[in-house]
Amino acid sequence: MNYQLEMLLTDQPAVLERVLQTTRYRGFRVDSMQMQPASKQMKVSMLVSGKHPISMLTSQLNKLYDLASLECQAQLVQSGEQQSTQAQPLPKTA
Amino acid sequence: MKGAQAILEFLTEQGVDKVFGYPGGAIMPLYDALLDSPVQHYLCRHEQGAAFAAIGYARSTNRVGVCIATSGPGATNLLTSLADAKLDSVPLVMITGQVARPAMGSDAFQEVDVLGLSLSICKHSMQVMTAEDLVPCLQKAFHIAQEGRPGPVLVDIPKDILTGLVPATPQAVSDYQMPEYSMQDLQAANQLIASSERPVLYIGGGVGMANAVDELRDLIQRTDLPQVCTLKGLGSAESEHPLYLGMLGMHGLAAANLSVQQCDLLIAIGARLDDRVTGKLDEFAPHAKLIHLDIDPAEIHKRRRADVSLLGDLKTILPLLGTDTVNPSWREWVSDLKVSKAFPYAVDNSPGQIDAPQLLRQLSDMSANDAIVSCDVGQHQMWVAQHMRFSQPSCHLSSGGLGTMGFGLPAAIGAQVANPDTQVVAVCGDGSFMMNVQELGTLRRYQMPVKILILDNQRLGMVKQWQELFHEERYSETDLSDNPEFSRLAAAFDIQSDVIQCRSQVGEALRKMLAYPGPYLLHVQLDHKDNVWPIVPPNTANHQMWEQPK
Ligand SMILES: Cc1ncc(C[n+]2csc(CCOP(=O)(O)OP(=O)(O)O)c2C)c(N)n1
Repeated sequence: MNYQLEMLLTDQPAVLERVLQTTRYRGFRVDSMQMQPASKQMKVSMLVSGKHPISMLTSQLNKLYDLASLECQAQLVQSGEQQSTQAQPLPKTA
Repeated sequence: MKGAQAILEFLTEQGVDKVFGYPGGAIMPLYDALLDSPVQHYLCRHEQGAAFAAIGYARSTNRVGVCIATSGPGATNLLTSLADAKLDSVPLVMITGQVARPAMGSDAFQEVDVLGLSLSICKHSMQVMTAEDLVPCLQKAFHIAQEGRPGPVLVDIPKDILTGLVPATPQAVSDYQMPEYSMQDLQAANQLIASSERPVLYIGGGVGMANAVDELRDLIQRTDLPQVCTLKGLGSAESEHPLYLGMLGMHGLAAANLSVQQCDLLIAIGARLDDRVTGKLDEFAPHAKLIHLDIDPAEIHKRRRADVSLLGDLKTILPLLGTDTVNPSWREWVSDLKVSKAFPYAVDNSPGQIDAPQLLRQLSDMSANDAIVSCDVGQHQMWVAQHMRFSQPSCHLSSGGLGTMGFGLPAAIGAQVANPDTQVVAVCGDGSFMMNVQELGTLRRYQMPVKILILDNQRLGMVKQWQELFHEERYSETDLSDNPEFSRLAAAFDIQSDVIQCRSQVGEALRKMLAYPGPYLLHVQLDHKDNVWPIVPPNTANHQMWEQPK
C-alpha cells in the first residue's frame, strides 16, 4: 500500500533524520519526498509504501516531539486515484 | 552566570540532588562547577555503569535519573543504557559534553555525532546550539523524560556553552496532552468485563510507572479477577492473593500461562504484548477479547488488535473499571490450577548441590519487605522473577526489554544511593557480573551496603540452556569455568565475601550476608546443568511450555 503523509515539523536539527529513521525502522520505504520552509516550521510531504498497517508508522511519527501535525491518506496508485476516506484524525500525543 | 553553573542551578531547582557520571575533556567545565554546587555527584567506573546507576535510581523512586558524561567515548559508552531505558520506559536525563561549536563537524578530538547516535534509542534528544537555549532545553528534557510514557532524553552541550555566559531565560512550558479515553469505551470495557466468563488481568510495568499500584490492588479487591504479571509488572499485585498467578510468558509460571490461554477476556494494563510474553502471537490467548489500557497510543493494536482500548493515566482509569466480581467457577478453576502447579518450596538442609530457586525463595523470605532486588540477565534473572516476591514494582530492578547483561550491580548502586536505608541486593550471573565488575570500585568508594549474590554456574547459562535444548547440545563459547575467584576479586576492593557450594550452608550464609553492615559478596556455586523451567520454545504457543523433567 502507498500512503501520502503531510507533516508539519519544527525546524530543529535532526528532525528530518528522525522522520526518515522512524519510517525505515517501522518497515516503510520512502518513494518520494518534498520539503519547504514555513516560518519556524517545515512542511514535508512524503509518499511511503509498506506492508504493515499505516498506523504502525503514523502512531510512532506522532510521538516525535518535533512533529507538529500529521495527515495521512491512502493512495490507490494503480488507478492514480486518492482514496476519499481520510485516515482517522490522529491526536498529537506522546 | 556560566552555562555549567546554570545547569547545576537548574538541577537543584528540579530537586535533583544526586547525579551519576564520569568526567572528561568536553564536560570538564561542568565538573569544575560541581565543586561549588550542592548537587552530589557519584563517580562510577564506566559511563555504562553510571547510566545504569541512574536507571536504578529512577526505577526505585519513579523520579528522573541524571547522568553526565563527556563527548566521544564517554557518550558512546552511554548508548547501551539509553537503549535499556528506552525499552523499559525509564525517565532519564543524560547530559553529554560536546566539542566547542567552532570545532563541531571537523572530526575534532573526541567528537562523535552523539545527536545522530541518540535518535533511535532515546525518547528525545537535543543539541544545545545557543546559550539562550541551554536552560529551556534542560527544562524540556525533564518534561519529556517524565510525561506520558517515560523515557530517556539526551542533551548534548558544546563545551563553549558550558564556559560561556547564559542569560536568564523564561520557563519552557510543556504542551503534552494526556491521551483520553472516551466514556463510550469505558462503558464498552465494563460491559466486556461483566459479560466475560473467564477474565484475566495482565499487568505490565505501566502500573508502577503510573503510581497506580494502590488503584490496581483496589480493583483486584473489588473484583477478584485472576492476575498475571510481566517481568516489569512484578510487585504490582499482591503476591499472597489466591488468584495471583505470577509471571507469564517464555519463562512464565504454568498456572499463569495456562490461565491466559484459557481466558475469554484479557485486560492488559500498562503492558505491550511483547514477544517474550506472547510466545507465538496468533496462538496467544486464542479465545480472548482484549481490553488494552495504556498511556501510549502507539502500543494499541501494535501487536494485537484490541477490542476496546482505554488511553490515559492508569491511576484515573483503574478506579472506573469493573465492578462485579468474577464468575466463581472460573475463580475456582484458576485457584485449583495455581495450587496444582505450585512450585514445591521447602527449606532443605541436606547436603547436596544448591538449588537456585529454593535459595532465592529463602532469600526473599529472609530479606526486608521493602528490600530492593536488582538482577543481571540470564537464567538467574528468570529465577528471581519466578521465585522472589516483591512488595512494589520499584523493588524489582531487571533489564526487561533490552535484557542487558551487566545491569545488576550498577542498578543496585543507583537504588542504594536513592534509598540509603533500604536493603539492596544484586543477584548476578557469573557472566553478567563481569560485564560491569568495575563498579565494585564504586561500592568501595562510597561504602554502600549493597549485597551481591553471584549465582555462579560457570556458564553463560541461558545461552547454554538454548544450546542444550535447541542446538543439539552443541556448546559454543558458553563455558566460563575459568572465571576469576570472586572472593579474591571482592577482597581487592575491600569487600567482605563468602563462598558456598552446599545446600546446608545456604541459610546461614544468607543470614550473614543480610546482617552485614557494609558491602558484601556471596559467591554461590551451582551445578551448571540446572535449567530454567518452564520454558516456552521459540515460535510455540504458551500452553505448549516444557516443564521441568522429572
Ligand atoms: C550485553 C549482552 N550480551 C549478550 C547477551 C546474551 N545473553 C543472554 S543471557 C546470557 C548468559 C548470561 O550468563 P550469566 O550472566 O552467567 O547468567 P546465567 O544465565 O548463567 O544465570 C547471554 C550471553 C545479553 N543478554 N546481553
